[in-house]
Amino acid sequence: MGLEQVYWTLPIVAYPFISGLIAGSFIVGSLSKIFGQKQYEPLAKLSLLVTLAFILFAPVGPLADSRQPSRWWELYTRAHIPEAPMGLFTIIWTTYVIVVIAEIYLAFRAPLHQLSEVTPGWKGRLYHWLTLGSTGMSEMRLRREHKWLVILAGFGIFLAFAFHGYIGFIFGAIKARPLWHNALMMPMFITSAILSGIALMIIVYSIVFRYFSFHRKVDSALVDGLMKIMIWVLLVDLFLDVVDILNSAPVAYTDQATASGFAEIFLHGPLTGAYWIGQLGLLVVALTLALFRGIRTSPLWASVASFAALISIWFMRYNTVIGGQLQPKVSQGVVLYSPALFGRGSMQIVFGLFMFILFVFSLLLMVFPWDDEATKHRLFHSTQLTNHGEQNRSTNKILEH
Amino acid sequence: MAEDDVHVEQNNARQMGNQESRREFLKQALKVGGVVGIATVIGGPVGAVKALASTETKQNATDGSATNWEGWEDPQLNVNDGWNNWDKILNPDNLPIYHDHFDEIKKVKPKHHWVMVIDLRKCVGCQSCTVACKSENNIPIGYYRTWVDVAEIGSTLQTSLGNTVTANGTYEQQIKIRNIPKLCNHCDNPPCVTVCPVKATFKRADGPVLVDPRLCIGCGTCVNACPYDARYINPISHTADKCTLCVERIDEGLLPACVTTCVGRARIFGDLNDPTSEVSKLLASNPVQVRKPEMGTDPQVFYIGLNGEISTENDPEAENLIYTYTMNTNSTAYQQLAGKSLLK
Repeated sequence: MGLEQVYWTLPIVAYPFISGLIAGSFIVGSLSKIFGQKQYEPLAKLSLLVTLAFILFAPVGPLADSRQPSRWWELYTRAHIPEAPMGLFTIIWTTYVIVVIAEIYLAFRAPLHQLSEVTPGWKGRLYHWLTLGSTGMSEMRLRREHKWLVILAGFGIFLAFAFHGYIGFIFGAIKARPLWHNALMMPMFITSAILSGIALMIIVYSIVFRYFSFHRKVDSALVDGLMKIMIWVLLVDLFLDVVDILNSAPVAYTDQATASGFAEIFLHGPLTGAYWIGQLGLLVVALTLALFRGIRTSPLWASVASFAALISIWFMRYNTVIGGQLQPKVSQGVVLYSPALFGRGSMQIVFGLFMFILFVFSLLLMVFPWDDEATKHRLFHSTQLTNHGEQNRSTNKILEH
Repeated sequence: MAEDDVHVEQNNARQMGNQESRREFLKQALKVGGVVGIATVIGGPVGAVKALASTETKQNATDGSATNWEGWEDPQLNVNDGWNNWDKILNPDNLPIYHDHFDEIKKVKPKHHWVMVIDLRKCVGCQSCTVACKSENNIPIGYYRTWVDVAEIGSTLQTSLGNTVTANGTYEQQIKIRNIPKLCNHCDNPPCVTVCPVKATFKRADGPVLVDPRLCIGCGTCVNACPYDARYINPISHTADKCTLCVERIDEGLLPACVTTCVGRARIFGDLNDPTSEVSKLLASNPVQVRKPEMGTDPQVFYIGLNGEISTENDPEAENLIYTYTMNTNSTAYQQLAGKSLLK
């Protein structure tokens, strides 16, 4: 026994946050493929890159928090499945990484191959290398690739639910912590994951298409559509929060440990502001903003509303991970915790984590042809230069496809 | 048409310019790539070797919180003496071990079933067991495998017939002091073992719940999952650590250190499979309780006289933990206990 303390610190707060963004952005990217919402097509490629950038760093949080991260391979060689939630999570994460990389390969192979033919120098060779030397461009091949893309996206949505549901279960399975041991953990984490993913995609789409795309234009109808989906997810998230409060706050409805823990931590304790203002207040702010048509169609204001939702989700992760551990198991009172600025489990680690993600995402944006319009334009001009009208037509056909 | 030609020319000119800057960029990229590559070539094997050698636990210097700890690094205590030989320490007879499906244990009919009975009527709260455990197992400063919580129950009442007379009035003290030795319960259904993602912790067929420090990744899930706060992260080995029931002693036929040292013989250790053992007789002739039975963990440390007066509720009216090793100084209870002004 050590002193009653917070064992899982800030990197573990970042862990479900980042994982939620993965699950959500992947689902947004699949809207056009699985749910047939063709207007979200411009998001498909971009969201795949967002998903990849975040998924590579999803396990960094728990590894940064664990004391022997160099033994990570034991997670594979001595995997404890299905009993240990963390063990199963490792397997789901690995599968997910493979699926996302396969999706990216299938989605980008054709344009990468075309670009490799018209781009001189090392960049062309890089493109060629990224296609793994596959040059087939026949109609049937492309159709087959698209079919596999759809199948993988469907499997990926299943994985997104499993992935984030299991993170909820890592906490929900721990009966020693009354505030964690809650059947609502899984649905709450899944809903907030989708919510944060949509919010992130609204912000990323607005920034990337406004400043880095070919036309430098954000489609406000698309933002409006995403915001409308976000309203529904927000409502479900708020509903689950209310159910959670009813489940854990009133002494009459719950067991003594949960009720007193909730009261001491969230009603009149160290996380009262983080819960009622940070988690619930910002959610209501985001919902209120999203109800106005003017805000929904303005990329700037939609991003502000989405940012409020993202901060609210961050507070939700913080309240869950840290709040659950503030309740002592054998001692009395409430453990107090304030995150360290530097060192193990500190804000520095979390900041570095997000900067790494931003770096990798920028790198991916530079390499992969995520902007269909820019690709079309480049192919069009190079074919004009070399006078290959026929290739130009086939290019357009492929991109429409 | 003319416009198109101009456009093409501009494009060509731009491409020529681009070629220059690209070459520069390529040079720089190669330079950076070379540095990164060399670092990977050198750092990879070094990291791998370091990782492979991580069981040697050389990380003392990195953790300032516990610098004065002799033990696993002591050159006098080498593997040939059985020190640091975890196979020998944890399971010398290669008993079956369990990471889940604990109900299977009964089927293998283990020779022993080690349990501990704590007779609270005899505990005087001297903390000898705490000291003996720390000494026997070399526990780092600030961490405990066993400890004795001292709680005060009841209150001082102002009555006319009280036996405590002061200038301010007459009082009657209706106060009881309860000493509760606490340790790992070596549960028959341990949640800490089930949640381990790398199967580093296990339950041995004869009872003890143990951690293999060569496998533990220090993720802290088991520390959070234990309802009794019996686990901690060892700041020296950077792995989960806990009471082992002094497994290296009981395998040699000795008693656990805390049992040997108990002045009131409040701690009794023995084999539940042997009907003539003291623990079997005590359990047969006394009502016994376990801690937090509602958790369904089936604890194997039994208490005589734990009558539910003690809870962990933070209600000073009902009870006060007046002496405990578990309370963090950075907690509201400690601030109430010491008085906020005293802390400043």
